[in-house]
Amino acid sequence: MTAEAIIQSLASGLLMGLLYGLIAVGLALIFGLMDVVNFAHGEFLMIAMYATFFLFMFFAIDPLLSAPLVAAALFVFGAVVYLLIVRFAVRAKANAGMVQIFSTFGLAIVMRGLAQYFFTPDYRSVTHSWLGGKTVSVAGIFLPVPQLVGALIAIAAFGALYLFINRTDFGRALEATREDAGAVALVGIDKNKVFALGWGLGAALVGLSGAVMAIFFYIYPDVGASFALIAYVTVALGGFGSVFGAFAGGIVVGLVEATTALILPPSLKAVGIYAVYLLVVFIRPRGLFGSM
Amino acid sequence: MLSVHEVTTAYQGLVAISAVSIEVAKGEIVCVAGANGAGKSTLLKSIAGAERPRSGTVTFDGARIDGIAQHIITSRGIAYVPENRRLFPRLSVRDNLRLGSYLYRGQANREEPLNLVFKLFPRLEERLEQRAETLSGGEQQMLAISRALMTRPRLLMLDEPSQGIMPKLVDEIFQAVKRIRDAGMTVLIVEQRMSECLEIADRAYILQTGRVLMQGSAAEIGVNPDVRKAYLGL
Repeated sequence: MTAEAIIQSLASGLLMGLLYGLIAVGLALIFGLMDVVNFAHGEFLMIAMYATFFLFMFFAIDPLLSAPLVAAALFVFGAVVYLLIVRFAVRAKANAGMVQIFSTFGLAIVMRGLAQYFFTPDYRSVTHSWLGGKTVSVAGIFLPVPQLVGALIAIAAFGALYLFINRTDFGRALEATREDAGAVALVGIDKNKVFALGWGLGAALVGLSGAVMAIFFYIYPDVGASFALIAYVTVALGGFGSVFGAFAGGIVVGLVEATTALILPPSLKAVGIYAVYLLVVFIRPRGLFGSM
Repeated sequence: MLSVHEVTTAYQGLVAISAVSIEVAKGEIVCVAGANGAGKSTLLKSIAGAERPRSGTVTFDGARIDGIAQHIITSRGIAYVPENRRLFPRLSVRDNLRLGSYLYRGQANREEPLNLVFKLFPRLEERLEQRAETLSGGEQQMLAISRALMTRPRLLMLDEPSQGIMPKLVDEIFQAVKRIRDAGMTVLIVEQRMSECLEIADRAYILQTGRVLMQGSAAEIGVNPDVRKAYLGL
C-alpha cells in the first residue's frame, strides 16, 4: 500500500465524515434539547433525498439549488412532527420513555411504508447534476466533487449553527431550554415554541444533508436506515446531545471507516466504526466531547 | 392589583392550599409567612401559573389569570422567583440577564432595568462573564431576582429569598426588596423568617396547613402575642 493510497483514502474519509456530522447534528440537537431520540431521523433523511430527486425529475432543479428548499420543507416537517406527535408523547403519564421511543419509531415505519407505496422500492438517482461524477485533483489526491462540496456545506452549516446558538436571542433561548425547560416560562419563553423550532432546525439540517447525498447516492425507501445507524453512533461518540460533539464525532467516524476499508475487506467496512464506538462507550461512556 | 379569591390547589389529590384569599395593592410589600408545608410555595405557584388551581380565581390588574400558561403570565407583568431559583446554571450571568429581557428582544432599551440591577447588586456587575453555577448561594439569589427584574414586572413574587444564604447577605437582599418597591414595583414575599420579613413588609398573612390563619398590617401581626410565641420565638 502506497502512502498516496492511504492519504487518498483518509481524505475521502474526512469528506464523508463531515457529511456524517451534518447528518447527525440534527439528532444531537433534538436529543440535547429535550432528551428525546428521534428514531425517524433516517426517514427524515430519506424524504429529503426523495424531495431532491423529485425536484430534479419534475422541475430539473439541480440538487445544489434545491438544497435550501428541501431544508426549508424539512424545517416545517420537523416542527409539525413535534407539534402533532412528540408533544403528546412526552406528556405520557405512564411509561414516558417507551411512549417516546415508539412514537418516533412508529413514525419511521409509517414513513418507510408510505415511501414504498408511493415511490415504489425502486432505486432512483439524480442522473446528471452539476457536480455528479466530477472529481478534482488536489496535490495528486483525487477528490469527488459532490463529497467535497458536501463537506464545505457541512462546515458552513456548522459555522452558521454556532453563530445562531451563541449570538442570537433564539439561540440563547434554545440553550436555556436545554439547561432547564421548566424554567424558561419564568422569563416569558414558551418552551413548546422552542421545542418546535428545535425540531424544525434539526430536521432542516438533515434535509440539507439529504439534498447533498442525493447527488451521489441511490435513493430508495430504506436508504435512511444505514445512515441513521451511523448517525446514532456519531452522536454517542461525540457526546450525547452535544452539537459540536456531533461534528467531531462525524469526522472520527469518517476517518475510522476509511481506515477500516484500507485494512479489512469491503464487506467489513462498518466493523471499524462499531469497534471504536464500543471502545469509547467502555472507556468514556459520556462520549468524546460529552459533558454530562 | 392582585386578588386571590378562595383558591384551592391540590397535588395528586392532596390539598396544599384550601380556599386561600389574599389581596395585594399597588406599591405594597406583602409578606406571607408560615411554617414548612403551610402552602406558601403552592400559593405563589398558583398565582404564577406553575400550578393550576382546582378552584377559585386569581385576578391581576382586573383580568383573570388563573388557568393561563405560565409564560403568558410572566409577559403580563408578574415575575416569579421560585424557591430553588431555577437559574440557567451553565450559562453566564450576562446570558441569564439577557434571557430575562427576552420579551423585549429587538428593542433598543431592552437592557434598561440593568441600571437598577447593578445599583441593587453591584457584585453581579463584576461577575458578568462567570457561569451562574459558580456563584455563591447569595449571589445566585441576587441573580434570580435580577433576572426577574429584567422582565420588567409590576408584581415581583419571591419564594423564600433568604433560604440557604449567609446572614449578612440576607439583610442585603431584604434591603434590595425595599428599594425595588421604591422603584415602583409591588412585592409579594413568602418567608419562613418572619421577623426580617415583617420588618420590611406593609402587610402580612400567616398561612397554616393550607389556610389563612391571620392577616393584618405588618406592625399588628408583629406584636400579636400568639404570633410572637409561635413564630418569632419570643
